[in-house]
Amino acid sequence: MATYILRRLIQTLGVVILLSYVCFYLMTLMPGDPVELMISSNPKITSEDVARLRSLYGLDQPAYKRYLNWVSQISSGDLGHSRTYRVPVSELLGPRLWNTFYLSMLALTFSILVALPIGVYTALNPGSRMDSIVSMLTFFGISMPSFLLALILIIIFAVQLNWLPAGGTETIGADNTGLAGILDRAKYLILPVLSLSLQSIGSFVRYARGSMLDVLRQDYVRTAKAKGLSYHVVIWKHAFRNALIPIITIIALSLSSVFSGALLTETVFAYQGVGKLVYDSIMGNDFNVAMVSFIISVSMVLLMNLIADILYGFVDPRISYQ
Amino acid sequence: MNQQTQDQQNIQSMEQAQPLWKMILTQFSEHKMAVAGVVIILFFILMALFADLISYASGLHPHRQNVSGRYLLPFTYSEVGSSEKETAVENWINQNTEVAAQLQAEIVGKNLLSVSEEDALYELALMPKEEGQEILKQIETVPSSFNQMLSDFKKFHPFGTDEVGRDVFIRLIYGARVSIGVGILSTVVAALIGLLIGSLAGFYGGWIDSLLMRLTDALLSLPLIPVMIVIAAVDLQKVPVLADFVGSGYESIIKMVLIICLFSWMTVARLVRGSILSLKEREFILAARTLGCQDHTIIFRHLFPNVVGPMLVSLTLGVGSSIIFEAALSFLGLGIMPPMASWGNMLTNAQEVIYKNVWLTILPGLMILLTVVSFNFMGDGLQSAVDPKSIKR
Amino acid sequence: MRTFCLLSLIAVLLNSPQVLANAKNQELKIGISQEFENLNPMIMTMSATSYIYAMVGRTLTTLDADLKWIPQLAKEIPSLEKGTAVIKDIKGTKKIVVYWDIIESAKWGDGVPVTCKDFAFSRKVALSPNVSIGSKEVYTKVEKIEWDPKTPKKCTFTYDKARWDFYDMGRFFPLPQHLEEPIFNKFSNKKEGYEKNSLYVKSPTTAGLYNGPYKISEVKLGDHISLSPNTHWSGTPPKIQKVIVKLIPNTGTLEANLRSGQIDMIGTLGMLAMDQALNLEKKVKSENLNFNVVFTPSITYEHIDLNLDNPILKDKAVRQALVYAINREELVNALFEGKQPVAEHLIFPKDPWYTNDPKLIKIYRYSRREAQRLLDEAGWVPGSDGIRVKNGKRLTLTLMTTAGNKSRELVQVYLQEQWKQAGIEINIKNEPARVYFSETTKKRKFQGMAMYAWVSSPENNPKVNLSSKNIPTEKNGFSGQNYPGWSNKTVDMACENLDTEFSSQKRRELAIQILKAYTEEVPVIPLYYRSDVSVVPPGLKNYRPTGHQYSETNEIEKWTF
Repeated sequence: MATYILRRLIQTLGVVILLSYVCFYLMTLMPGDPVELMISSNPKITSEDVARLRSLYGLDQPAYKRYLNWVSQISSGDLGHSRTYRVPVSELLGPRLWNTFYLSMLALTFSILVALPIGVYTALNPGSRMDSIVSMLTFFGISMPSFLLALILIIIFAVQLNWLPAGGTETIGADNTGLAGILDRAKYLILPVLSLSLQSIGSFVRYARGSMLDVLRQDYVRTAKAKGLSYHVVIWKHAFRNALIPIITIIALSLSSVFSGALLTETVFAYQGVGKLVYDSIMGNDFNVAMVSFIISVSMVLLMNLIADILYGFVDPRISYQ
Repeated sequence: MNQQTQDQQNIQSMEQAQPLWKMILTQFSEHKMAVAGVVIILFFILMALFADLISYASGLHPHRQNVSGRYLLPFTYSEVGSSEKETAVENWINQNTEVAAQLQAEIVGKNLLSVSEEDALYELALMPKEEGQEILKQIETVPSSFNQMLSDFKKFHPFGTDEVGRDVFIRLIYGARVSIGVGILSTVVAALIGLLIGSLAGFYGGWIDSLLMRLTDALLSLPLIPVMIVIAAVDLQKVPVLADFVGSGYESIIKMVLIICLFSWMTVARLVRGSILSLKEREFILAARTLGCQDHTIIFRHLFPNVVGPMLVSLTLGVGSSIIFEAALSFLGLGIMPPMASWGNMLTNAQEVIYKNVWLTILPGLMILLTVVSFNFMGDGLQSAVDPKSIKR
Repeated sequence: MRTFCLLSLIAVLLNSPQVLANAKNQELKIGISQEFENLNPMIMTMSATSYIYAMVGRTLTTLDADLKWIPQLAKEIPSLEKGTAVIKDIKGTKKIVVYWDIIESAKWGDGVPVTCKDFAFSRKVALSPNVSIGSKEVYTKVEKIEWDPKTPKKCTFTYDKARWDFYDMGRFFPLPQHLEEPIFNKFSNKKEGYEKNSLYVKSPTTAGLYNGPYKISEVKLGDHISLSPNTHWSGTPPKIQKVIVKLIPNTGTLEANLRSGQIDMIGTLGMLAMDQALNLEKKVKSENLNFNVVFTPSITYEHIDLNLDNPILKDKAVRQALVYAINREELVNALFEGKQPVAEHLIFPKDPWYTNDPKLIKIYRYSRREAQRLLDEAGWVPGSDGIRVKNGKRLTLTLMTTAGNKSRELVQVYLQEQWKQAGIEINIKNEPARVYFSETTKKRKFQGMAMYAWVSSPENNPKVNLSSKNIPTEKNGFSGQNYPGWSNKTVDMACENLDTEFSSQKRRELAIQILKAYTEEVPVIPLYYRSDVSVVPPGLKNYRPTGHQYSETNEIEKWTF
């Protein structure tokens, strides 16, 4: 097991390094370098200014050289400087990573907690009235463009009812600590979490219901039932455990988009997350921020795939790793 | 349904030995929501196909704007703008030179309007309808085409008008064309790519498999936005095959399809690879091989039909997510370019005026919702219909 | 998880909803939709940063809402008449020497007086090759700064040439020499060493960094900035005790925040789309909401650049026809309810150089017939579908602009329809601003027409946009913004002479020469001047939006409820 994980980790590292170059190259392919962006916002920049800034930013060097510079800088532990905000990347990215992490994790946990019971319940009672209502609702959730849902939530809960704030991360200057601080954050998280989870609840319910139905038709479930095992044991120990595999896959997949999937939600709610930052850094050609975010997002995907694979082993003992 | 009667029916139907497609069809038609979904989708597709006809019959045009009638409420009338009237009159005069000259002479001759003959018809068209009718009454024979033109100046808007006074109803219909079109086209293309790559990887295995699957992994983990921006910057006019389309204003649609394809074939590829991995070990493939079938025959003849089922399902689900994806791209300003209407850009355009003109948001939102829900139900129905385990025999 | 949600929901219900703008001048929350960066004035490039910086830092002079230069840190604006500015012949070139007197009580936030040293230091920083300041010209135009150590507030500035606009010092920011010089000396030999280690980055709440009415008490880049009164500020004491500038990127949410009382006002950098603002204004009236929607005509000039290399657009008649064929009055009335005035040319009506005298320049009034006549004469005749044709080629042009800008897209479809009526087919191709500005316009890659805006200031020499030297090419590193590629000798000459012409009357004459050529040759289709939109609580007094790059926050100390 340990060697398997180690091997996979090394492979993952290799892919991350390879992809980091691909991302770097993609960024250089994009029209306009940072200096060109500066020119478009400041008409007074002269051609001498352009040449000076180019060499200052190292843009006069070929792409591979710049990549190597970046790698050596990263490996020395320096994440670099954001060219847009003109502060160190670590200072900029750190708190935002946490914010996005809270948002996405809460949304994910919430959707799993809601979706799994519903999915299992509807699978146990297929064709029931409840089943049709639920499938109606889940499709509704899947089909709702997330920014529209966010806007509707804001209008109802913030503008009309004035129960919750319309956006933001926390009350400015409130300086709450302890429980008060948590509650303050929670107030700002409710609407984004809701709008982010509705879609995943929809798809999780579909998957949970589907795989549970599939498992319930299997012979071993029939055998277990025939053995006279109690209903609960059959459902939870035999059926549910086996139904978990596809569910884990889909959850791992959604985990991997934890840091990039909340872009629209974060934009609409003016939430201090990393999704918006990544978008802006790419749009503003902020190499250092964009590259660090790339690496994080790519590694997340690959790591989550690895975790899903390991989890399979726990859920299904037949799968083993040598 | 009573279990016993159902069993009997099943026995009967088995005795009749239905072909597979018929079985699937029967199975599918039992899923009421799926059937409803198909009906709605068909309705929308028909609507999209006959958009030009609807436009012609209703006299509404998706790009025709009227700045004097912006943000009109549903079920209201609007009067077209002066510039449009002028063009209409000019065209009419050009087409009916003699009649026009006669009419102009008559109006000025009877002193109904105190302008030069050249301007008489323009003046007539520009004045309020009632006054115009007053004047026309005093003229012996008004050509019917002229009357027709005048009555065209007033338009009925069942769903109101948008920010430049374009009719929302007809834009929704043309929007269906773009949204459903992009949805279906991109999903089909993505499915074909996925099918090809997935089956190659699954069938040959080995280094081909590793290579193709790492490619899929890499693409799956690649962040979307930079690639989208790069594509947005590519000048499609330089691509020879596409150049013809590009000139005709479809550039943004082609880009949209390209982007969606690029990011959605991976799931299909994985799905197909998975099925083929298990299929190729089955006896019938071995049989085909021993009979001396070539690889492509095996792939196209024997393997493809067996993966079509799960593929169909992911196709129908894919169309729905493509439509939503288009809306999200529009929200980021990377969507279909104006003036072409898509549900996504109609929705995005409306979100800033959501407090005052709610219906502008609700209508396209509802269309997206309805379509995606329908496609999902259809996929759901298909899934249970093609699933061999759920076929009741 | 569920209990947690429930708990927080209860907590929310217990918390009373946010109280609206308070009458006691305690707090003002301003919403903006534009990003801001680190507040080092030397290297800031974003307009939102300038907006915020004006609350905490001041310069010698600035431009007020009436487009007049007024002194800020200077006692008064020097002039040739008073003898506080002198033209001297130094080593064969005519240069201007200006005596600037800094206000006696002007201090940094830690009580250290603002002196000539601070200006000399900031010039030194700007000139360092390792500092990534965008345009050096603001600082290099001053060649020398001298002072007598006994009178550190009386500075002698020697400019590089005889400039009449020597009083334009609104972008020459002093840096606190007593805090920043040690850092500069330590890191200036490294690339970008100074700006990465500056106190503005390391400790932005240091009071000594700011000399304005407020100082920074908290910064969260990308989210908000909190300001509190600067106790060492010597001017009018600020009335409002706390100012928060909050960034809300989505304008729909920005409005929702205003309505739910999370912010008290939307600043001019809220950048509400015109349609949204007009709708909000109507709602304010119909629902008696407690806001005023303020429209301020700004110097932002919306126009369409015509690529003069395009074979169709090479023909002057076609360009003139393009202008005749569009009804701009109807456009601004219909789309903007007349809140944004039609532009005749690039000079703003309040500018002393402005004219709309038909004897001096060519004025275009909407006339489709005139457009059609010009096109007919140029050989473009209507084809079967109404689009004009010449030698088998259709009269088709591409109109580009930034994707996602609602107002522009609205104007775009409007113009498209009007040109179609005149037999001109327009294809719309929009790109994300990122691609559009850094590639398409800057490298002149647009095929036909490109719509965008620029901001200028009064009596601004338009050579960057009009002189043929400033046509962006590979050779000059694509600097310069003459995107149409217009080359006109009279204009080139006039632009050169404008810089050194001390008589304001003669400057006006030169400017009108330029305008005459500009309106006659039509390298650019002028559309309208944008209006800045802000939404303020009705009780807010002394709020005067400026409509130009020196924002209203230069007077924030006067704002009061």
